Amino acid sequence: MKNKYIVTMNRVLLMNRCCYSVISAHDQKEKIRSTLNYMIALGIMTVGLSYAAVPLYRIFCQAYSYGGTTGQIEANKAVSNMKAIKDRPIKVRFNADTASSMQWNFKPQQPDITVLPGETALAFYTAVNPTDKAVTGISTYNVIPFEAGQYFNKIQCFCFEEQQLNPHEQVDMPVFFYIDPEYIEDPKMEFIDEIVLSYTFFEAKEGMKLPVPSYVKQ
Amino acid sequence: MSTAMTFGQKQFIPTPPDKGSFPLDHEGICKKTMVRYMKCLINNNSNNSLCRDEAKEYLACRMENNLMAKEDWNNLGFQENKEER
Repeated sequence: MKNKYIVTMNRVLLMNRCCYSVISAHDQKEKIRSTLNYMIALGIMTVGLSYAAVPLYRIFCQAYSYGGTTGQIEANKAVSNMKAIKDRPIKVRFNADTASSMQWNFKPQQPDITVLPGETALAFYTAVNPTDKAVTGISTYNVIPFEAGQYFNKIQCFCFEEQQLNPHEQVDMPVFFYIDPEYIEDPKMEFIDEIVLSYTFFEAKEGMKLPVPSYVKQ
Repeated sequence: MSTAMTFGQKQFIPTPPDKGSFPLDHEGICKKTMVRYMKCLINNNSNNSLCRDEAKEYLACRMENNLMAKEDWNNLGFQENKEER
């Protein structure tokens, strides 16, 4: 008797529950739709954020880092602690170019130098101003192959700053650089034993605003 | 140098030198040491490891004549110990 009572009560409760769910089917549909909307919005927001992260990150880095280079103190420590690696000599070839309107004669003093990674090296370029008036030049450089450029560190050089040559003046321009010892641990660099360092001189005219990188102190 | 087509391709970003730019040696004060260095390079088949002393001399000349900020030799990669030589 009691079992029957319990069973019927359960059935009644079940019907009530099922009736309740029938009444709120419309609500449930709304719920499902709103949940779906939220999920879609979340998905779109994630995709959008991942696209936006690239320029945002770049802006952040430009504002708070040093153009990708480490601070001055760390550079000194890195240089004083690095050891030359004797079994991977690298030939650094030098190339010199001028812009077509630039009248200097600009050439490297040595065609190449064999250098060890981790060893600082000195190289010279010579510039002659054959004209009768003072010409101001500004230079930039390039390292080929592209992947080797990240290991090429310049301690001091003559680039990115305006250099003035008086008429008929010849001047030697040194470049003091080293190749990061981590070069040998890069698998991409395994078969690269030659690096080309290329400098190009452009004429700096009065009032002309050259696109100089933001980290250069004017 | 940077046209519309280079977007997305690898772009070489020049980095500034660690210690800035060398002032120009207009009077040629350090030319003798430079010539010595070049001669050493030519004699040693452009091998940098053998000509480091001359390079050090050139940089010392620059420092003495106010053409370069005075730096500790260690910070320029010239270790004082020559055990490896």
